[in-house]
Amino acid sequence: MYRKQVRRRRAVLALLIVGSFVLLTLTYTRGSTGFQRGVSTIFSPVQEVADRALKPARDLVDWFDKTFDARGENSRLRAELVTARKQATAAQEALQENAQLRKLVKLDGSPALAFSAYKPVTARVIARSPTVWRSSVAIDVGSGDGVRVDDPVVSGAGLVGRVASVEGGSAQVMLLTDHASAVAAKVLPPGVQGVVKPEVGNPEELILDFIDSTKRAHGGQAVVTSGWRSQGLASHFPAGIPVGEVTKASIVEQEAQQQVDVRPYADLRNLEILQVLTGGERR
Amino acid sequence: MIVTGKIVARIAALALVGVLLQLSFFSRVELFHTSPDILPSLVTALALLGGSMVGVVSGFSIGFFVDCLLVESLGISSLVLLGIGYLAGLYRERFEIHSALVPALLCMGLTLLAELGFATIQLLLGIDAPVSTLIFRDMVLKSVYAFFLGWPIYLGVRRALRPALVDEPKLRRRRQPTVLGA
Repeated sequence: MYRKQVRRRRAVLALLIVGSFVLLTLTYTRGSTGFQRGVSTIFSPVQEVADRALKPARDLVDWFDKTFDARGENSRLRAELVTARKQATAAQEALQENAQLRKLVKLDGSPALAFSAYKPVTARVIARSPTVWRSSVAIDVGSGDGVRVDDPVVSGAGLVGRVASVEGGSAQVMLLTDHASAVAAKVLPPGVQGVVKPEVGNPEELILDFIDSTKRAHGGQAVVTSGWRSQGLASHFPAGIPVGEVTKASIVEQEAQQQVDVRPYADLRNLEILQVLTGGERR
Repeated sequence: MIVTGKIVARIAALALVGVLLQLSFFSRVELFHTSPDILPSLVTALALLGGSMVGVVSGFSIGFFVDCLLVESLGISSLVLLGIGYLAGLYRERFEIHSALVPALLCMGLTLLAELGFATIQLLLGIDAPVSTLIFRDMVLKSVYAFFLGWPIYLGVRRALRPALVDEPKLRRRRQPTVLGA
């Protein structure tokens, strides 16, 4: 009797292990299945209710966490404010000059205008992946709101990621910190271009890779999306979305590229309200 | 544990509540830059009360449900959590739980194992980005949180599944006062 039980137990274990491998083989890197989309659609209203009900408790825990973090942040922010004021003044002058020059050359199809062609749809985060190996959030808007796969997603501070899959009333957003994320970006003002990739496990740091070592980047410079376009192919992101700030730039020995550490503007650990930029040109 | 239809429904309800709590609350709060993960603890608690069969099936199902809700590749979470369920169930079948510390310590150890298992599978499947050493801090903190959350989770699961537990002492009922001569 006991042996029979043990055999049955082992058979169930083996069956489920094989089942897991089969599921993994069938679905890995092949996007979402209809079944997953169905389950997600059914449960997204429940997740929405849970999200709203649990918000006060989340806020309480966040308050404790932020109180610990606030120590020492004040002096850093003051220093940043002084720098930002100087940069804002310079930027105002540059904007005025830019507007005058645009009028002079009658420029219409610039990347800046392409960015304004997007229609932002406001979304609330309703769920988040429990592991750092997958960095994604679920939002409460979907194809019914005009959201489509690969639409860029921003927060008030900057770029957050892009839409990875869409259902009727919800969507999954792959964050910049997901290991599969890669964003074409450039450092301002020199304009050197590279690819922003994450450092898995560290949501406060991104890496701007594949950039020319002859043009040096420096701490404090802004990194924005470059929005490239070539031979019918284009970046998922329009040009000019703020990504982050350079914290460290170093040339790797025996390599022709320099590696730049970037601190994202958006707090990717603490996302509540996001905007999906819909209606952009399809790629 | 005597598994009946009602008990299966209770386990399914526990799994649903656990997954929703994880995705809507625990994954979205951070203490010292790390979010707690209660799912390995939930599977451990179910396996400690129901044995390895309950642990394996509930681990697989909870992992499958999480992957469905997050629209991620299916199978990774299932594989990790069914392993956790099997190990916790084996412990229950071979040893006595004679201290309140045992479930908490098991939750801590198995959460660390789940994190290592998840990392191993992801690395085997391929990671397109460099991996920070901060990942180790994340794993250790997650298992420390599991130690503190493990005991209340175990108590909650035991309470929900009390009718099915063979070795659980029955609740004492207060005898109604009787009137003399009645």
